[in-house]
Amino acid sequence: MEFFTQQLVNGITLGSLYALLAIGYSIVYGVIGLLNFAQGEVYMVGAFIGFGVLSGLGGPSALAVPVALALVLMFAAAALGSGMLGVLIERVAFRPLRDSSRMAPLITALGISIFLQNSVLLLLGPDIRNYESSSYIPVTSGIHVGFLRISLVRILVIVTAVVLMVLLTLFVKRTHLGRAMRSVSYDREAAAMMGVDIDRTIMSAFFIGSLLAGIAGVMAGLVFSRVFQLMGFVAGLKAFTGAVIGGIGSIPGAMMGGMLVGLAESFTSAYISSTFQNVIVFGVLVLVMLIRPRGLFGRREIRKV
Amino acid sequence: MSIGVDQWVETADSRRLGPSGWWGRGLHRWKSLPPWGRLAIVVALAALVPLFASDFIVRVGVNALLLALLAVGLNVSVGWAGLLDLGFIAFYGFGAYAFALLSSDQIGVHLPTLVAVPLVVVATGLLGVLLGLPSRRLSGDYLAIVTLFFSQIFLELALNFDRLGVDLTGGPNGIAGVTPFHLFGRSLSSPTSYFYLFLLVLTVVVTALFFLERSRTGRAWRAVHDDALAAEIMTVPVNRVKLMAFAGGAAIAGLAGSLFASFQLGVYPLNFQVQFLIVIYAALILGGSGSLPGAVLGGVVVAVLLDLLRDPGQASAAFYGVIVITLIARVRPWRRLGAIVGATVLLGFIVHLVATTLWPSAFEGEVESTGRLASVLDSWIVVPTEPATAGNWAYCALIACLLALPLLRGWRRDALVVPTLYLAAFVWETRLVGEPSITRQLLLGALLVVMMLARPQGLIGTPRVERV
Amino acid sequence: MSRSLLELRDVSVSFGQLKVVDGLDLSVEEGEIVSLIGPNGAGKTTVFNLITGVYTPDSGSIHLDGTSIVGRPPHEIATMGVARTFQSIRLFLNMSVRENVMVAGYGRTTARPWQSIVRTRKARREEHEERALAEELLSFFGQRLVGYRFDQPAYSLSYANRRRLEIARAMAARPRILLLDEPAAGMNPQETHEITALTSRLRDEKGFTVLVIEHDMHVVEGVSDRVVALDHGAKIAEGSFEHVALHPAVVESYMGKGATVTG
Repeated sequence: MEFFTQQLVNGITLGSLYALLAIGYSIVYGVIGLLNFAQGEVYMVGAFIGFGVLSGLGGPSALAVPVALALVLMFAAAALGSGMLGVLIERVAFRPLRDSSRMAPLITALGISIFLQNSVLLLLGPDIRNYESSSYIPVTSGIHVGFLRISLVRILVIVTAVVLMVLLTLFVKRTHLGRAMRSVSYDREAAAMMGVDIDRTIMSAFFIGSLLAGIAGVMAGLVFSRVFQLMGFVAGLKAFTGAVIGGIGSIPGAMMGGMLVGLAESFTSAYISSTFQNVIVFGVLVLVMLIRPRGLFGRREIRKV
Repeated sequence: MSIGVDQWVETADSRRLGPSGWWGRGLHRWKSLPPWGRLAIVVALAALVPLFASDFIVRVGVNALLLALLAVGLNVSVGWAGLLDLGFIAFYGFGAYAFALLSSDQIGVHLPTLVAVPLVVVATGLLGVLLGLPSRRLSGDYLAIVTLFFSQIFLELALNFDRLGVDLTGGPNGIAGVTPFHLFGRSLSSPTSYFYLFLLVLTVVVTALFFLERSRTGRAWRAVHDDALAAEIMTVPVNRVKLMAFAGGAAIAGLAGSLFASFQLGVYPLNFQVQFLIVIYAALILGGSGSLPGAVLGGVVVAVLLDLLRDPGQASAAFYGVIVITLIARVRPWRRLGAIVGATVLLGFIVHLVATTLWPSAFEGEVESTGRLASVLDSWIVVPTEPATAGNWAYCALIACLLALPLLRGWRRDALVVPTLYLAAFVWETRLVGEPSITRQLLLGALLVVMMLARPQGLIGTPRVERV
Repeated sequence: MSRSLLELRDVSVSFGQLKVVDGLDLSVEEGEIVSLIGPNGAGKTTVFNLITGVYTPDSGSIHLDGTSIVGRPPHEIATMGVARTFQSIRLFLNMSVRENVMVAGYGRTTARPWQSIVRTRKARREEHEERALAEELLSFFGQRLVGYRFDQPAYSLSYANRRRLEIARAMAARPRILLLDEPAAGMNPQETHEITALTSRLRDEKGFTVLVIEHDMHVVEGVSDRVVALDHGAKIAEGSFEHVALHPAVVESYMGKGATVTG
């Protein structure tokens, strides 16, 4: 039983991470109808930025500031850095190609993805960076109720993710910008005619999506410790899976989907096989694609002919 | 002249605009040849290569022909049918592994080549259909990621299959000891024989696809690419046609895979990573997506460039060569080109002079290239004794400049080009030359971005018009 | 009584809460030219989408020459004999004029990929016939789309020529019934006049049955054997042009309550 709850906690932690990334995909897809292929790389950069701040503050074993402050700084820096990177990507890859085929921005984003991965490799070298979160966040702290044992790191990740998701939902429903994003996702031309600044709205969507990815990157560092150049690739694929399962373009869908993927991965890895966990997650994706292509919360596309 | 027809309209052909000068005339002459004539000339020229070149060059040629074949296969699903098929590398890998299984000791099966290859091609085609089935209703982006995921899965399976109990794939070590092609009683062994085999296969495939492009299937594919819904309403069974595109591309990839496996005499999982998928895409995009000759050209050019990158001297020559060629091709009038080049050269010498005079010990590094080029470069580029840090900063500065360039206009842009060029050379000498595998990927990624933004139709493709 | 070529009975479809087509009965006899009119949003193009299989009706039946076509995929319905043009032109812009027309022959032809590659006699003959048919159909429009135009990409055509090409493409599907969605939209008066003559020629020379959506009443008047008026997804009038044009419900749907029209 203890093992089960452990996997459950793992799954929810992982799922929170994927959910944040998936939301990033969905927000961007919502406003421009395209996937930000480079999202995984933004996540990776966020993780590295977080590590950079960590090192700058003295490193895992010799933090010069209180742990809480360090974490806040790490998250903030990653959020800001990744957000700006996302805006840059939008300017370079997506805006010039806004009215061209579907393929052009995708291939461009693919190119950017490769370029980012290798730029980081060139500039920072191939060494794996290690957050060593156990050095400053004691492993034994956390909730300990009977057989339920959740470490502080995991609590931190889950709580942060939930808070972000709540804030985001409020943002989308209540704020002007959130409404603008929704209107652009329904009908860009009509939104433009109603006075919505399309460029700014799209840029904001990229900023928010990338910001979330950056925060997820730092979370990944805290939970898994290891941070490396290729971490964005598979994580991105799985987060996308979550976004699709939940219904691409839908934020609650992305949350659910990401969570599902995290749980699926955790349980598969524990009970079936950890080598083939990706294969199984992929299998789940294929199944969903066959049975309900628009996902759990996806909108049915009404084709105007 | 027929009654009622505008004379202007009638003489339209004579007013067709094209490039001028000797280049234009040559091009016109080339285009007026019948297709088989053009193919014959190209094949004949290619066939001459092994007669006059070393074994090493012949090997490069084999790689070029292989990449051309792959690009041509990718063109079917991506270029013609417009499906963003990122699973292509998995089809290639599947074909290679399947051939390896049928021609090695892995499962003890040794089928004759002429039996194994068709089997592999058909099997890979079926795999293409299999991947296409859940993807039928997916549009570009979904399809892209699902197929990309599939490629990832294939790689993981190839790496870990032995853990399922049956060692089908040899795990991380792959399958060695694949028997070479056995045709007409003889076993192919030399690079030259493989060169001619690959050339033959490529010629046959290109010819077949040439006819297919002009058939009802080819039209259906291109119609689906342009407007899938309209195509469906005009009697085209879009889902089935998409599956055929997947299958067609996959079959060609499978063929390429078996050729590769027999040439390399083995298959290893690392041959089929996503990095190589990017290479194939770069080849197709560079040459011209949607164009058969474009795919071939792109494959050859990218393969040759990548092979050149292995040797620092050749790589540098290629690097500077491409920059110079691009400048010459794109910067007009000549005065402007001269000003930019002159300013860049001047800047280099000045920086070199200033740096080596003021901080001689900090700039003792050497340029990596060899020969006469190197001696010139040595006085032009300043190479720090510790190249890495400076190189990294310069890299960031270079990226910033490249991003800023499109934002500027007129003389300001030209002015920025000068330090950008110098930075590029600096970064090349201090960092990129020393890291060939990273540089490969960087350049490929950059190629994809630049092509899509500046010339999406590639070198010899035709520009597409999209429905708004 | 012989059955109609196209028959819609009590067809309804809703998008979410909005009922776009409401209990529509519509029939078109073979050899007729019927016009479908109504203000914007009345559901006319939706009716076309229902007939061609893009949408599936929530209720009701659609029969083509006695056979039900509800629930069949669009390409099958097209092969059975329904072809259409689009309100916003949907050509295959990167394909040549001739190729655009030839695509519509897909459902009728059978050459398989391997046969096309190997160039069997049957494949070559089929290709030759399709080419000849395409060129013949294109010459229906005079000299505008023939000769060197055959190989020009469709994106190089003028607006009016694009509309003509779309009609040629629809004809190439060898339909029993041709659905034209606002063929005169965006045309100048001369071109509009041409479209009117063209539509009649489609029936008189080629024997097509035609169902036209049109806003331009001159075209409707000049072309129709019968006019059907829709509003809010339901039929509000049917009959000859004179009858429908002056029908109070029709006038109201276009002009609002209290409007009158002097004939």
